[in-house]
Amino acid sequence: MSGLLHYAKLWLACVRYSIVRTMMFRGDFFMWSLVELFWMSVNLLLIGVIYRHTDSIAGWNQWEMTLLVGTSLLIQRLLMGFFWSNLFEMGRNVRSGAFDFFIAQPGHLLFMVSTRKIDLDGFLNVPIALGVIVYSLRQLGLDPSALQILSYALFILCGLFIHYATLLIFISLVFWLQSAKGVEGGYFMLNEFSRLPRTALRGVASIVFVYTLPVAIVTNIPSQTLLHGVGISESLWMLGVTAFWLAVSITVFHRGIRRYTSASS
Amino acid sequence: MSLAKYRHAFLIGLQSNLVYRWNFAVRASFSFIHLAYVFILWGAAFQGRTQVGGFDLSQTLTYFVVVLILQFFISAMHEDYEISEEIRNGLINQFLLKPINYFAYRFSIFTAARTVSGGLALVPILIVLPFLSGHLALPEWGWSYALALPALILSALIQFTLAYCFGLLTFWFLEIQSFVILSLAIESVLGGQVFPLDLFPRWLYELSTWLPYYYQMYFPAAILTGRIADPALVLRGLGIQVFWAIALYGIAHLLWMRGLRRHTAVGG
Repeated sequence: MSGLLHYAKLWLACVRYSIVRTMMFRGDFFMWSLVELFWMSVNLLLIGVIYRHTDSIAGWNQWEMTLLVGTSLLIQRLLMGFFWSNLFEMGRNVRSGAFDFFIAQPGHLLFMVSTRKIDLDGFLNVPIALGVIVYSLRQLGLDPSALQILSYALFILCGLFIHYATLLIFISLVFWLQSAKGVEGGYFMLNEFSRLPRTALRGVASIVFVYTLPVAIVTNIPSQTLLHGVGISESLWMLGVTAFWLAVSITVFHRGIRRYTSASS
Repeated sequence: MSLAKYRHAFLIGLQSNLVYRWNFAVRASFSFIHLAYVFILWGAAFQGRTQVGGFDLSQTLTYFVVVLILQFFISAMHEDYEISEEIRNGLINQFLLKPINYFAYRFSIFTAARTVSGGLALVPILIVLPFLSGHLALPEWGWSYALALPALILSALIQFTLAYCFGLLTFWFLEIQSFVILSLAIESVLGGQVFPLDLFPRWLYELSTWLPYYYQMYFPAAILTGRIADPALVLRGLGIQVFWAIALYGIAHLLWMRGLRRHTAVGG
């Protein structure tokens, strides 16, 4: 218990530092918020353009697809807020040798690496992603129950940890490749599949992106929870996949650490 | 102006980019994952219909394959960041003391980088081509390929010059990453990398043809894939493309001259 309290205090100190830092660079904060808003708009624009010419994508209508994309954006904004900068900088730090600084810190290495900063600009767009989700539900004429909303929140949390795990695996490749330049792009490529309905993925694509990699279920299970209600098997699937991928990412990270030899002084 | 120094810059660029050959190879492989996403999304959108926006599924998929391949040959990837780093770290000072044109030097490095990335991307492209060929539909008329060549060269020049301009913003701003990624979002949409621009409402499409983004990727890709099927329209497009290449170079030169006035070289 005291260990948890110690980490909570460390994290709160990091949050305080991040807020102070953001307030020092307000222009930067505004620009990054705008950047994220623009990229969110790009994803929604794609859906809008496609539905100008068709009325269904794999059986999903425009507002069901918007709900799916909104869910994907919500998870991604949370990832950006909590973890993105930390993991992205890890790739650079390993290469430059600045990673030594984290090894010398008083806490679990992965915790120190993952939580040093939070990005407020990521969080600023969370209400906009939530707005997209609520608007889609209104357009669909749906009014989810409290159980559906709670389950949705839980699955979003699972989705956040799955995305964290995926990103950690990609960035940990820096221990083998010496540079993560361009590698983080792989995360965004895979993340694209989270904006596809599960019904669009068939054959090999279904095996790869639904059953092997967790990209499609991260958004499909929460969205279907709001659209069709809570499913027991889907819930267990989501929780199991979250635990599995977290374990894989932590293993890859620790394997990578063994290869770390620091850089010149 | 002696071109030998730029030839040497090109050769050094080749060597330094080959060091990161595995990163390019990984990036090229990731691009094919993106292509899989595009095939699945547009395949699902075409379910129950033969045409979307006047083009069939093969034509649409061909467009995305061509865009993907072109990215490795003509896109600016990290050039803006590299220029920014050189300004911020003071490495640019050495170029101010030597008889070398910084724009031409960076363009030589850019050409080398695209030669390496394009060459390495050809490997996975050739591997997957037999699987893709059944889904591709290229135009039958030969003039497309002849006119696409100048369009491609001008596109590369526009892409590089835009990245160069963003890199030069470091003279005014310490951090340019947000500007670059914001611009990337606009370029991705208005350059036709997210969807073919002809799927826009007509008025928006017409408006986009006057912007430089249109000529970064959509224009050469649309010529190569037959989405622009009228030679007169291609020639008009080439004219606007030349205008943008010159205008952007003018802006880049202005930023360079103004930026140097603000620049302070410190240390020995």
